[in-house]
Amino acid sequence: MQQRSHATWVILLSFFMAYLLAIVPFPAWAMHYRPEWVPMVLIYWVMALPHRVGIFWAWVAGVVLDILEGSYLGLNAMALVIVAYVTLSLHLRLRMFSSLQQSGLVFALIGLNLVLCHWLQIATGQTVASNMLYLIAALTSAVIWPSLFQLLRQLRRSFDVH
Amino acid sequence: MALEYRALAFLLLSVCMMFADYRFGYLEKVRFGLGYATTPVYWVADIPTRVAFWIDDVLVSRTDLLEENAQLREELLVAQQELQLMESLASENSRLLALEKSTSVIQGDVLPAEIINISPDPYSKRVLINKGAEDAVFVGQPVLDANGLMGQVQEVLPYTSWVLLITDAHHVTPVEVNRNGERALARGTRSTATELELEFVTQTQDMLAGDLLVSSGMGQRFPKNYPVAEIISVYSDPGQDFATIRARPLAMMGSTRHVMLVFDDGEGSVPLSDGEASASEVSDDAVTGESISDESDEPGGSEAANMNDSGDSGANHIDASGPDLKRNEVSVEQAN
Repeated sequence: MQQRSHATWVILLSFFMAYLLAIVPFPAWAMHYRPEWVPMVLIYWVMALPHRVGIFWAWVAGVVLDILEGSYLGLNAMALVIVAYVTLSLHLRLRMFSSLQQSGLVFALIGLNLVLCHWLQIATGQTVASNMLYLIAALTSAVIWPSLFQLLRQLRRSFDVH
Repeated sequence: MALEYRALAFLLLSVCMMFADYRFGYLEKVRFGLGYATTPVYWVADIPTRVAFWIDDVLVSRTDLLEENAQLREELLVAQQELQLMESLASENSRLLALEKSTSVIQGDVLPAEIINISPDPYSKRVLINKGAEDAVFVGQPVLDANGLMGQVQEVLPYTSWVLLITDAHHVTPVEVNRNGERALARGTRSTATELELEFVTQTQDMLAGDLLVSSGMGQRFPKNYPVAEIISVYSDPGQDFATIRARPLAMMGSTRHVMLVFDDGEGSVPLSDGEASASEVSDDAVTGESISDESDEPGGSEAANMNDSGDSGANHIDASGPDLKRNEVSVEQAN
């Protein structure tokens, strides 16, 4: 039981870093290419520790992201809950995948997340309908995924988070 | 099976929260409270910029400083000379306005602030500033930079505030041409470009490329006569009802870090003089402007409407009790 509670801070720290990367200002042209750090970190932890990080974590992570981005409360939370649900139901298969296959699935998941957020933002009048450029972030996320996966796995193993 | 129910429960919770926040604004308090928790993230995210500025300050050579000093002196001299001219014009203007029995032009206090973040969504043009409820910032407060009007405060958090820029597609700024007083509404563009579009300008209205647009004070949100934008192109197609006019905002939207928050000093809000309103042409325009802005509020969602409501109440509050407190704030800032 004692081991269960230990090293939660590693997960929290990784989320904190993801939030930082998600809001650090970029030059205007690079905005579209910003990977979706928070959903990616969430996918990793759900995949690695499905018994600890689940729907509730996803929801809380989404609410915090909503506050940080100044969007309506529940918008990112809803998208992340769906992402976490899909990851949870696939986590056993996801672990068996090669890194290329994993990237493919991450591309699909992040794409789903982006489309959901975009639709909800249009529905609530927070942004305007525009081109499909916002989906580029799914591509950059998929490209970055293998390195992020390695990094987080190193982190998890060296701090013995389980 | 339990997983499905859990996911469904949280989905429903998210939808309810979004509905409550969007439709009724029940969660203002919650947002405000959570604002305390998220402040450190912004603070840490801003560290690289602060370090860069600090390095700039420290690693500057003596000759550069001397050069800059000389240049600033020169600029100050020119500015003072212009100010002298302005003062005589201002007194003349106020005498003339007194003759017309209208209120004087407002000269609000300002509170300097810094932009510490920008919206991660490239289509919503919003910035985060480092002043919030603790500094008496209120929703609807006008924000300027050194060159012109920049936007208005959209959401106030404990130590920070979100500012909606005038180039956002949901923002409409009431403007007039400085040269001849022709009125128009400047809306932000739907693309990522930092441009404004003048809406509902008829083909016969006198607007030329290069004209300076200043805030008209209509809508009682922005103070009158602050520079807003410069017209860059006018295209009139005889087949269309309205001309297509694009303008470039004067405020440095992408590059500035220092902005100013304007506090109304309570001497009456916007000078809409009797003399002006009696001219039939102008009042016609004013009426169209009014109806258009009403209409544009509706499809824009209740966000804009909410903003107007709360903004008005905020303004009343300031009128009632604000001015002295605000002056103290400003003097403290300057002393720092």
